[in-house]
Amino acid sequence: MTYKLNRRTVLRTGTAALAAPLIAGRARAQGTPLRFTQFYAPGGEVPAQVAWFENLVASWNATHEQQVLLEYVPAGDYMGGRLTTLFATGEGPDIFLLSPGDFLRYLNGGALADISQFVPDIVKADFSEGVLASRMVGDRIYGIPMEVEPMAMYYSVRAFEDAGLNESDLPSTWDDMLSLGERLTTDDRYGLLFDTNPGFYQNFTWYPWFWQAGGAFQNADGGSAFGSPAAEAALGLWQNAVALGAAPRQILGGGGWDIVPNLGSGFAAMQNCGVWGIAALQDAMPDEPFGVFPMPTPEGGAATSVGGGWAFCANARGGNPEAAAEFCAWALASEDPASSARMVDWCTVAKTNIPPRASALEAGAEALQSGQMATFTNEILPTVRAEPRMPPEVYSAISDAIQAAMLGGTAPAEAAATASDRIDAFLATYDGAPIL
Amino acid sequence: MSLSRPQSWSRRSRERLAGYLFLAPDALGLLLFVGIPMVLSLSLSLYSSNGFGGYRYVGLANYARLWSDPQFWDSLRVTLSYIGMLVPALYVSGLGLALLVRRTNLFNGVMRAMLFLPQMVSLVVVGLVWQMLAADKIGALPRALAGLGLGDVSLLGDPAYALISVTVVSVWFLAGFYMLIFLGGLQDIPQMYYDAARIDGAGPVTRFWFVTLPMLKPTSLFVLMTSLVASVAGAQTFDLIWVMTQGGPADSTSLTILYIYEQAFQFGAFGYAGAMASVLVAVLLLVTVMLFLATAGGRVKGVT
Repeated sequence: MTYKLNRRTVLRTGTAALAAPLIAGRARAQGTPLRFTQFYAPGGEVPAQVAWFENLVASWNATHEQQVLLEYVPAGDYMGGRLTTLFATGEGPDIFLLSPGDFLRYLNGGALADISQFVPDIVKADFSEGVLASRMVGDRIYGIPMEVEPMAMYYSVRAFEDAGLNESDLPSTWDDMLSLGERLTTDDRYGLLFDTNPGFYQNFTWYPWFWQAGGAFQNADGGSAFGSPAAEAALGLWQNAVALGAAPRQILGGGGWDIVPNLGSGFAAMQNCGVWGIAALQDAMPDEPFGVFPMPTPEGGAATSVGGGWAFCANARGGNPEAAAEFCAWALASEDPASSARMVDWCTVAKTNIPPRASALEAGAEALQSGQMATFTNEILPTVRAEPRMPPEVYSAISDAIQAAMLGGTAPAEAAATASDRIDAFLATYDGAPIL
Repeated sequence: MSLSRPQSWSRRSRERLAGYLFLAPDALGLLLFVGIPMVLSLSLSLYSSNGFGGYRYVGLANYARLWSDPQFWDSLRVTLSYIGMLVPALYVSGLGLALLVRRTNLFNGVMRAMLFLPQMVSLVVVGLVWQMLAADKIGALPRALAGLGLGDVSLLGDPAYALISVTVVSVWFLAGFYMLIFLGGLQDIPQMYYDAARIDGAGPVTRFWFVTLPMLKPTSLFVLMTSLVASVAGAQTFDLIWVMTQGGPADSTSLTILYIYEQAFQFGAFGYAGAMASVLVAVLLLVTVMLFLATAGGRVKGVT
């Protein structure tokens, strides 16, 4: 048999050769597991957290054709630019964790898939309104919060006793807190500790002081409202704490979130820290007594805390965005009681957190009402506002104002006005999703 | 019949070919990992990036933004201050240490090894250790300063001291490396010049000024250029400062390289970061050319 080479044969063969990789690629895309990139498992250090993620994925994989694969990135790398680089190079994971601080950048960049079709209204109503709202645009949900991490003040019982103080001396106003901070300051200990490192976390911890003084980021016209007496007061509070020598200019360990090297080591007598501090102190120094109290307010100010926390998000440009979105909702926002139970497990066993769903709050009541967690659940949670979401330019202007006032000695009014001008200049051309 | 090699491949041609072949691996590495990324970065600077694969051609808009960005100019001012302190400090300390351990004996061998030892330690560890030494109130350094009656001094938390503190740590880390470079340069100086100077009655200071220093011109140029690059864009600079201060307090240690990193890897503004990086490279090139011209390429007059 002879094989005749003509123009048609060449075209047919060529088309088949070109199409084969495409068909194979498509087949591979459908068969490829979704990558769930996060900083807990399988390489994380806390066995309960590793187990939670592994069980979650195992449950999904047992009942769904589209498989999910856990991809671990150390927390420092994850928050230090790894996720940004993955997305910039087109290698963004299918499912990932996102904090409110970064939410708008990902949303405005078109990286977040709409999850709302998989979240029933009854479950939507079960979520804390503010916490879910910071992951929504209109009616669409772009992230499922897995936890709420409110901020509070921690204190060392030993430091209080050394100074002849007890629980009845806990401060309720900013002035009381500063006075007490000075009184508790010694040659080798600060009375009070706020985060000093520039970054998203420092901004996050400063917002409640700003809100307590009546601050808002935007006015009714959509312009900046940052250059206000509230910003001046809150910037002044941190500046005074440092100027009085009651708070350090540089803190120990990984940052203000790292309570063990700071309050735990005796470096500070009182520390502004989130709910995770309970587990951290209990694990690292179980015999060292500590207490928690709500953040003091200015005279006449409203008690306000801030609730951070991460959310499950799906990549709109991933291999299978619909399945990724379904996974996020299935995990934490479905009607199945297992979904709510999973949230309870995460917030009370794997971590010490507050669940963002009412049903989970109820189911986890026993753990959430025990010890120091009761202070968070009963006194602080009702005052929590969701961590605001803002574009990097706004975050950066506020960060510079905090640094300039707290550590640079700039007058708070001047720092607030400079930041406000920068925010206004940015907002004039901003056309992304609303800032909350 | 002739036993000689073909005339078309002269000895000179073969030598030249061998030279290029020896250069090829390094040149290829430079092209792949430095040259091409630099060109890509330059072209990236003409685009606006949202960090998610969306690129829009904006011409010179990123450069216009840079021109009116006070944070960029602040970071450039901090970078210049850092260069102004670090480069002379590295030159003086590197040369000084090299002169101290110049003679070859057992004691100097041990000293050389000890002075070079910081280079063996991870920069992150170096940063963390110095951070602990400088910790407010409880660190060894603030305690020593308090013991001198200077009160609570925050070496890394006060904008007045933070840049000086990170410069001192950078010198501690890098001085051993530049000492080795200078040692190499010192060993290249023929002994006959010193002998001739001695016969002419020159003392140690005169010999240093009129023999050692002029003969070290090529080494000096190399040290000045490499320390300049290290202080502007070196990994040492970035890692140390990122670990010790993250650019704080109040942006007092926020070098341009940190600002570029923030824009690229935290905010996804790769186009703007590319523009800043291009300007930084242009400034570095300009300074390098000026250094070359000022020192005639580090040549020593009358010596070939």
